[in-house]
Parts: sequence; structure tokens; C-alpha cells
Amino acid sequence: MLRAAAIAERAGVPSVSIVTTPFREQAAVVAKGVGMPALPIAEYPGVPMTDGPETVRAKVERLIDAIVDGLARPVETALTRAVEPAARDVVFRGTLDQVQEFFYARLWTDGLPVIPPTIPRVERFLEFADRSPAEVIGTLSPENRAATVWSIAVNGVMAGCRPEYMPLLIAVVEAIAEPEFRVQDAGSTPGWEPLIIVSGAVAKALDFNRGQGVMRVGRQANTSLGRFLRLYLRNVAGLRIPPGAGDKGSIAATFNVALAEDEDAAAEIGWTTFGQDQGFAKDDGAVTVQSVVSSSPPIYTAGTRALDHVQVLADVFGRACAYWSFTGMKYARWQPLLVIGPSIARVIAADGWTKDDVRAYLHENVTIPAREVERYAWHLGSTAFSLKALAESGALPPEYAGSGDPDRPVRVFPRAAWIGIVVAGDPGRNQSKGYVNNHIQGGRVSKRLALRL
Amino acid sequence: MTTADREPVYEVVWPLAPSAAAPTALASRSPDLAGKTIGELWDYLFKGEEIFPLIRRALAQRYPGVRFVDYETLGSTHGRDEAELAATLPALLRKHGCDAVISAVGA
Repeated sequence: MLRAAAIAERAGVPSVSIVTTPFREQAAVVAKGVGMPALPIAEYPGVPMTDGPETVRAKVERLIDAIVDGLARPVETALTRAVEPAARDVVFRGTLDQVQEFFYARLWTDGLPVIPPTIPRVERFLEFADRSPAEVIGTLSPENRAATVWSIAVNGVMAGCRPEYMPLLIAVVEAIAEPEFRVQDAGSTPGWEPLIIVSGAVAKALDFNRGQGVMRVGRQANTSLGRFLRLYLRNVAGLRIPPGAGDKGSIAATFNVALAEDEDAAAEIGWTTFGQDQGFAKDDGAVTVQSVVSSSPPIYTAGTRALDHVQVLADVFGRACAYWSFTGMKYARWQPLLVIGPSIARVIAADGWTKDDVRAYLHENVTIPAREVERYAWHLGSTAFSLKALAESGALPPEYAGSGDPDRPVRVFPRAAWIGIVVAGDPGRNQSKGYVNNHIQGGRVSKRLALRL
Repeated sequence: MTTADREPVYEVVWPLAPSAAAPTALASRSPDLAGKTIGELWDYLFKGEEIFPLIRRALAQRYPGVRFVDYETLGSTHGRDEAELAATLPALLRKHGCDAVISAVGA
């Protein structure tokens, strides 16, 4: 919203942006990131979604002076850059405790102790990079900072990674720097969290957990890689919860540990790996990053036929995704992820089902009443949401316009191909789990690793 | 000698990265909105369909001849590819003769 105003300003068209009070501090971060810290703002007090029509009217009347002021009053802009430390500048010298306090006070940690990023430690990481420390992988908004290889190593040190993880850290940042990941929206109110999925032989070589407790902290590779990404989003993208700004996750969640597939289990049953599904060769090392906004309950399924399992997966994973499906319908991109336990995948595959068959079943059989989709969208704030309009625009297949009956069922998963499937978890239990993606924010992006094993 | 004296001392570097934000001047403003054309940029969130008509009415009462290019004409600003928006929005504003824009609602 502010970015659109900035585009207008660059085109010589003055702007004013209406920002609600709770977004005021985030707006300041965005304005600074686009190089226009004085971008005019008219502040709507409070939360419009809990205001009735009379309250909205009264508040807008009080906004008019600020709107006029923003559009008509000349604004002086300081065109000087703030002086910031260079990469190798020592910014502090102290004991372990003193370093923690110094970093914590400046919002440079995630609240947990960090490994002090000394130059020798950073250099050990760079030995595994084969890239110039000054190389810029991309720029990360809202703070709009250059994601240098050096900064990746610094935050990798701090997060407790091992130096040999460096190629993965770079690939993760390459992924989130892609426009389709939309890192600038990683501070949106749903509070989505990136999930890293590691593919290829590298997972075994670097001792990633792929089995029981795969999504729990405890294994250094999974845990520190996940922690690194959250730390990097704070420090380089500028996404900080209060007393910082930029991260407006309303309740949000903590970082996800990196997920690694049990590729041996997938191979045994003749299924493609998740990495292959993303277009890589089986042994290629790769990382995929996508947003996760919530998960399903643990899904227990039993039986000797594929249908015994996929029916329950459709019920439980489908219900977990159903509420949020309006976001995927609105933005025509949504990539939920289903982690299937190895023992369950084995039964499904033995019955002749491929991953595509599972995806097709979910696409065909999980529905939600149209009325509920539109109701949930309105409550979020998508006050102009209309399935009919989306279908007419081509964003959704024509079936979503349907008969006009508000109780008509519509598919929760608009495209079968959007559903990701990973085989992982406890091979000694019959459990799966689903992860709900946050539409175009945190879209699934994969990167091949510059790593040979 | 205190415990702190015996502890190792660390010389640490900055965990942030260079800013890529280029300070940019805002567009020049006209002190009077009378007779101007104002474009509406909406992200299709948070009751813009109620808010914009109220703004239109209030500004029209205050400034004779003020004209609006509504949000339906300019299209949603939310969820669009930023590079695509940057490439198309200036031409759209020129096409409709926008002298100023109001962007809403959120952050």
C-alpha cells in the first residue's frame, strides 16, 4: 500500500496513505525502506474491521485535514544516507554476557543467546562459500538491505550453525530474495513463518533429522538452519516484533526447524522425492522455502488400503486448510504441504497410488460451502471478496462462480499441483501432518545448492 | 582478579547489512486541490469501499472541481508483483490525468 504510494511519488504524483493506528510503526519501516521516510500518512485511528458504519464515517471525517495536508503541503526530504558500520568494523568488544546484552538491547538477537560473531568465526563460514563476502544475493524489504554473503555468514554464526552449512544458508537467502517469495510481506498480520525443506544427499551428509521428531528442536542442522532464517529476517529484512517494528504478526509463531525428507523411504516405495517434484535430479542438493501459517493436528490413519488413509487425510488436512482457502482463491496461488509418515506412504504406494493420485484425491474431495469462504474473507478484511468476481476474472476456474447458491460446495484446493507432499517423520508410527501455506506471501521457492558431496 | 577479568573477550561485527534504500525526494505539491484529479489506490482491504466514497464527498465539498479516478479504474494494489506495478502504475496515472493519489488502507 505504501509501496504503491512510493511508486506514484517517483512518477511525480504526490500521495497520501491512509494507515490504521496499529500499522503506524510498520509503515515507518516501509517508508524508510523505500527511501521516503517522510512519505505522508493520514492515520485512521483504531481497527476499521471492528468499527460500525457510523464510526467509520466519523473517523474518516476527522481524517480529511490530514489527507489534504499530505497532498498539498510541501515536504522537505533529507537526501543523505545514515552512516552505518562496514562489514569488518568491530562494533563491540566484551565478554560473552556483555555481547549478549549489547546485541539484545539493539534488537539484533531473537531473544536467545547468540554465538558472538567474531571475524575469525565469520571467516570460517566464508571458507565454505566460494563467493565474495561482498556479493549481494538480493535486497530484502521492508528495511531494504543488501543480503551480502558476509551478512549471511554473520547471522549463521550467531544462530549456532556449523560453517559447512554455509551453502544452505546462501541458498535459503537466494530463495527468500526471489520476488515470488514476497519477503516484504513476511511481517503481515497472519504471522506466517518460513519453512525450509532440505532435499538430496546433503540432508544425510549434514545429519539432518528426517525421522522421528523431525519438526522438533534438538538436531543441530534442522534447528540452527531454521533459527538462522528467523534471525536473518529480523536483522536484514528488518522484521522485528515490539519493541521493534516491521513485523506485524498479530499472534504469530516461532521459527520452524528445517524439514528434511526421508528420501530413502520415498525411494523404497517408488515415489519421487520432494526435490524431484521441484524439478531437481534425485541426488541434487536443494532447499525449498515456503510460508507456513498453521498446521493440522497430527493425523493418524490406519488400514491396508490407500483409500483408508487418504480419506482421513482429506478430512483432517482438508479441514485444517479449509478456513484459510479463501486466501489461495483470492491470490490464485496457495501451496499447502502434507508431510506423510513413511509407514502410511508405504501402504498408499503399495496400492498403486502415486503422489499425484493423492493430490488429485484431495483436490476432488475436499470442499467448503461458498458462503463460508466469503464470510471468512470478509472477517479478515477482504471486504470486496467475491468468488463470482474471481471466477469471472479468470483467477479461479469457472466452477467457483457456480449456481449462485451460497451453500454450494467449492473446492478447498483449487489446483492439485499446488499441494506439496513430503515423506518424513516417525517410521514406527502411522502419523502424518499438514501445513497451511499463506498464499502468495511466502510462495514456494526452490534453489539448488552449490555443493558437491 | 574478578571472574569477568578472566573471561574471554569477543570483538564482534555488525549483524545487519548495508542499506539499499536510496533517499528519494517526494513529488512537488500543489497547495490547492481545487480542480485537481485524485486517483484512488486501494489494496481491497479494510473497508475501502466505505472509506473512499466518504473521502470523495468530503473533498468535493471543500474543493470545487475536484475529480476522482476510482479504485476500480486503477485496480488493486495488493498482492501484485511490485516490479509490474512500478512498470504500469505511472503510465496509468498519466493516462487518467492524476495530479495526486490517495493510497489505502493499511500499511
